[in-house]
Amino acid sequence: MFYSPVITNAAEAVKNEKLHLFRFVEDSEQVKIGTYEAHGGYQAWKKALTSMQPAQIVEEVKKSGLRGRGGAGFPTGMKWSFIPKDSPKPRYLICNADESEPGTCKDRVLMERDPHAVIEGMAIAAYAIGCHRMFIYIRGEFNHSIIRLETAVKEAYAHKHLGKNIYGTGYDLDMVVHSGGGAYICGEETALLNSLEGERGMSRIRPPFPAIEGLYACPTIVNNVETLASVPHIINRGADWYRTLGTEKSSGTKIFSLSGHVKRPGNYEVELGFNLKKLIYDPAYGGGILGDKKIKGVIPGGSSTPFLKADMLDVNLDYESLAQAGSMLGSGAVIVFHEDTCIVWVILKLIHFYRHESCGKCTPCREGTGWLEQIIGRIEAGGGKPGDIELIEDVCGNILGRTICPLGDAAVMPIQSAIKHWRDEWQFHIDNKKCMVKTNFEFR
Amino acid sequence: MADKQNPETGGQATVTLTIDGLTVTVPRGYTVLEAARSIGINIPTFCWHPKLKPVGACRICYVEIEKFPKLQVSCATVAMDGMVVHTNTDQVKNGRRAVLEFILLNHPLDCPTCDKGGECDLQNLTFAHGLDDSRFAFQKYRFVDDDMTTTFDDKRIGPEIILNRNRCILCYKCVRANKEAFGEYDLGAYERGNITEINAAPGRQVANPFSGNLVEICPVGALTNTDWRYKIRVWLTKTTPSICNFSSSGTNILFYKEDHKNKIYRVTSRRNDDIDDGWLADITRYSYQVITSDERLIKPLIKKEGKQVPATWEEALEVIKKRLNEIKDKKGGVCIGGLASPSLDNASLYSFAKFLRRTFNSNKLDYRQDYRMLPKDTANNYSILASQPFKIAGIDDSDVIVTFATDLLREHQNEYLRVRKAFNFKKARIFVANPYAVKTADVAELEMVYKVGTDEIFINAVCLAALEENLVACPDRADLKKKIKPSSLKDAAEQCGVAPETIKIMARALAEGKKVTFIAGELLTRCRDREIIASALCNLNRLFGLNRKGQIAVLARYANSMGAVKLGISPEPVPALKKELEKIWSGLPDTEAYNTDTMLVHMKKEEINGFIIMGANPVMLYPDREFVKESLEKLDFLVVCDLYETETTALADVVLPLAGWAEYAGDYINLEGCRQHAEQALKPRFEAYPGYEILEMIADKFEKKLFSSTEERESEIDRLLKVDTTLPWPDGFVEVKTAEIEIEKDYPLALFLCDDPHHCGHLTEKANSLVNFCGEAYIEMAEEQARAYNLNEGDSVRLESPIGKIIVPLKISEHLDNQVVLVPRNFTSHPVTSLLMRKRRIDWVRISKVAE
Ligand SMILES: Cc1cc2nc3c(=O)[nH]c(=O)nc-3n(C[C@H](O)[C@H](O)[C@H](O)COP(=O)(O)O)c2cc1C
Ligand code: SF4
Ligand code: SF4
Ligand code: FES
Repeated sequence: MFYSPVITNAAEAVKNEKLHLFRFVEDSEQVKIGTYEAHGGYQAWKKALTSMQPAQIVEEVKKSGLRGRGGAGFPTGMKWSFIPKDSPKPRYLICNADESEPGTCKDRVLMERDPHAVIEGMAIAAYAIGCHRMFIYIRGEFNHSIIRLETAVKEAYAHKHLGKNIYGTGYDLDMVVHSGGGAYICGEETALLNSLEGERGMSRIRPPFPAIEGLYACPTIVNNVETLASVPHIINRGADWYRTLGTEKSSGTKIFSLSGHVKRPGNYEVELGFNLKKLIYDPAYGGGILGDKKIKGVIPGGSSTPFLKADMLDVNLDYESLAQAGSMLGSGAVIVFHEDTCIVWVILKLIHFYRHESCGKCTPCREGTGWLEQIIGRIEAGGGKPGDIELIEDVCGNILGRTICPLGDAAVMPIQSAIKHWRDEWQFHIDNKKCMVKTNFEFR
Repeated sequence: MADKQNPETGGQATVTLTIDGLTVTVPRGYTVLEAARSIGINIPTFCWHPKLKPVGACRICYVEIEKFPKLQVSCATVAMDGMVVHTNTDQVKNGRRAVLEFILLNHPLDCPTCDKGGECDLQNLTFAHGLDDSRFAFQKYRFVDDDMTTTFDDKRIGPEIILNRNRCILCYKCVRANKEAFGEYDLGAYERGNITEINAAPGRQVANPFSGNLVEICPVGALTNTDWRYKIRVWLTKTTPSICNFSSSGTNILFYKEDHKNKIYRVTSRRNDDIDDGWLADITRYSYQVITSDERLIKPLIKKEGKQVPATWEEALEVIKKRLNEIKDKKGGVCIGGLASPSLDNASLYSFAKFLRRTFNSNKLDYRQDYRMLPKDTANNYSILASQPFKIAGIDDSDVIVTFATDLLREHQNEYLRVRKAFNFKKARIFVANPYAVKTADVAELEMVYKVGTDEIFINAVCLAALEENLVACPDRADLKKKIKPSSLKDAAEQCGVAPETIKIMARALAEGKKVTFIAGELLTRCRDREIIASALCNLNRLFGLNRKGQIAVLARYANSMGAVKLGISPEPVPALKKELEKIWSGLPDTEAYNTDTMLVHMKKEEINGFIIMGANPVMLYPDREFVKESLEKLDFLVVCDLYETETTALADVVLPLAGWAEYAGDYINLEGCRQHAEQALKPRFEAYPGYEILEMIADKFEKKLFSSTEERESEIDRLLKVDTTLPWPDGFVEVKTAEIEIEKDYPLALFLCDDPHHCGHLTEKANSLVNFCGEAYIEMAEEQARAYNLNEGDSVRLESPIGKIIVPLKISEHLDNQVVLVPRNFTSHPVTSLLMRKRRIDWVRISKVAE
């Protein structure tokens, strides 16, 4: 069977009880339902469905402190509790597997290598919110994930973990695997809803929030793959156990997708609160910087989060510490840049991405990202004008907090931090019509 | 606002907030924008539209709300108790200016050559709030397609719409209106980011029956219509409020005209929430061209030696006087009759009836030119149903809506939109029952296609479902079973071909509905057995108490059908009306009354010898064209007044040019019974006169003035309109007779006459814009049927009935799925009425491919 060749720390997870998400991802048999069941799979689903009330599950997940792994870090149990209790409408659970945030590639590993864990987590969440039809919206380009999930869903039906009257409880649950529309914005939950409904993938204004009016205007919960894959373990071992992982306020483990100028780019499951420097330099993880160069900066949580400068790397990877450092945990994609990287060039690549992916609905994001790309492009190409930095800052200010969905913020926050940290370099670019660092390093 | 999405937020009905220091109390559910506007505080908007759901896209409507860290878009923020809102702080102004700056980045600023100049929201707002300098130092993004020959991005995306993407500010109003209000998807947004573009759906044209609205609501010059663009600047025109002459709702419109040229340039909406919500059907928007067309009749025509030749009015009037007097003297005034169009104004219709009744003592007159065998009086269940009160806006707040025997999109486009709105905004449950599939069904919970010719059995089945399931408490419900056949749901359901379970769901909805709107339409009116079906509907009404908890009616079809009823233009007016007429005229003729059909029969027998037609075209519209022609040809003398030479004027001895509705002021009664005034926009073109003036001129010749003054005429009309013409429902359940349906061997398909969604009746063919949408008759049929006959889209098809045949191109339907064919009746070149037999319930036809 095909695996995307990605380094993981599965070997460590096999030894370390705490690292539950990655325990079996290097086991090529894990994708088969028999193996998954032999490893204790679907026990949590059975336990939840046969011995727990939905409200109990919501409570347990609340207590566990699990927070969304899709980017915003919203407490998962609390989100579930927003589903109106008395609505006569059907409810929907959607697993957000559109993973397109630059640098992020963790959900794909879970889907390709442990698909049943995703299904099991979804089933439990579905039951907790009273949903009888759940969807997984998978990024269109993720062919292998789609095939894996489709196969796994068939197996799960055959083994009666899905379908009618599951485990004799009378509970029915169906699952639909949906191939996405191929746009970054379709990962934003409301755009995802539109796309799933067959509309153009464009964000919706909130309120109404999806929990009240989501898919087909019915109460809907959207959760990330990793979030949902964590749920069976919480049900199996209890919220109290989960709270022993990670830090006081950021409980549990998290997969970090490490990329950029490191020796061992890959996906690493660690407890929240893990030290960033250790993740980059420890031979068991990143193993240090390519060519043993110095670090210039790091994006700690996916391309949408502000940069950390080289002198800020002694920070722990948890929601609070990163916020304190002026950035965010985001989706957990740590992108490392070494000293030879031109920051203007990096930002140009990023703003090009956001300009291209803006759904086009709201004016500031649609027009602002295009303008920013042009200004930054001219600076990078040696045509910068005095005042350009201030102009960029002003345009960023006119986008930040002024848009429908967070893509607008995501586009400008890295820029703002890059100007804050490396203003001299921007100025040099403009004044000297060339780059301060020697090479424009094409990173892989 | 009447159409808030979410009325059930609970608690008090109002909220109180402060805006710019003023305290305002508004209904719960109002947005901050609506609250501000309610006290006259103006907040600019681009993407907001009163009849669409807010999207918060353009961001121009920012306000600052205390305790909210960021600027909020007022159009999408619901007003809450205690909110403190500021609409004009520096932060707000900066935010607004930033948005304008963003919008203008790639905007071409080609105002001098843009047709929207002078009425462009962007132009206006830029003057009011914008920067006078641009910080944008790049080449503006330009949309170009490979096949474009000019530097303008002018792209025809529909028969009447030009798109210029460079000017588009992506407010998405066009796409949203298309989807939310019209249920159409021929226009969409493509690409992403700052190269996002509005465009026609791939391989399609923007040609839906409401497409003109997209142009009207576009805030800039991105969408323009071909009828108006580059013809005149908006500030050189004047507007005249008027009423649509091609819909029975009386959609409110504005004519844009220029006085020196005596010309109308376009029509826009004049929003009236009780009637039209500001949406116009394309027919309404473009039918002014019926008046401005150059093919209009110029002078009166008189037949001399078998040929019609131009004459003066005086000559024509003299001939009319002479010939009608001859008939009157020789055979009696009762041998003179008339037919008037139900689209004429009150004054013309009333003058018409008064002229015939008073001058000739004749009761041989009608306003119904297209429905076979209509009753001449009102002592019948059909007339009861047709007289019931109905409110268009009442559709909006119904929780259950049934459309029966009607294809709303082709008959009642305004009400079609209302039904969609009730579904989209109020989540009403919609049920659609018709002998063929119709587009209304895409908002329906259930679509029931019953077998052709089983309309009454279907209604009986719904009643039986209620009885068998014990859904209703009507005290005498036990009587019903004795009046209908068959008497079990199972049998009735089988006969009409709809599953009993489905019928039960609809019956339950009718029983549970708090406010039910039940609309019956033209398939009922047009049907020979309308009385049988109407009887079934009377029972349905009684059983479910529909009129008490909502409304049930068969909708009037033409601009002034209701006026014709209320002013007594029919052979036997409602008794109450007759009484009033008797008083006003001090006596009424008690001669025999004939409806259209009987008049035609008696013409053929040469018992009616003189005839006046005003605005009507029975040769084109009445079933059995040959019969109608032969009848009219037998007349000794025929006068026809119309805007154009028609199939009917061709038979006339005298033809008089009639003014169109925009050429005189007039009142019309819409299907709700609401009287509306249309002002005069133009002077009558050429030598045309309004109907009431023509009749007064003729009456003058007979030395029997109709009215001593306009005031007298109007006061008589006022008196008549005060009469309540609603007929009481039957006392108990009524018998529903069994219809005898002729089967025609070798003619296996049922033909349904219809209007094309871009046409109405016999005149719209003169409006170029409408012809651009559809200029030719067609036969529409289900794909499966077409395949069975080995036919493809566009093939020439021979359509034959026992009495006639026509050859038309085939159109494969998106909706139809059974053995019926639809043929529009709007095209002179393909007279479908030549296939119809006068006395038939079903028009059976057969088809075959025409060899190339
Ligand atoms: C532009 C944009 C892209 C996003 N892409 C993803 C994504 O690919 N996968 C994902 O899980 N969440 C994505 N999100 C976050 C989702 O909107 C949503 O918050 C998340 O799926 C909720 O799941 P969680 O609570 O489990 O984190 C994106 C958000 C934005 C604004
Ligand atoms: S912020 Fe960007 S992506 Fe989000 S809704 Fe606005 S235009 Fe679309
Ligand atoms: S074409 Fe006009 S209505 Fe449509 S999005 Fe553009 S500006 Fe708005
Ligand atoms: S009018 Fe409010 S965002 Fe456009």
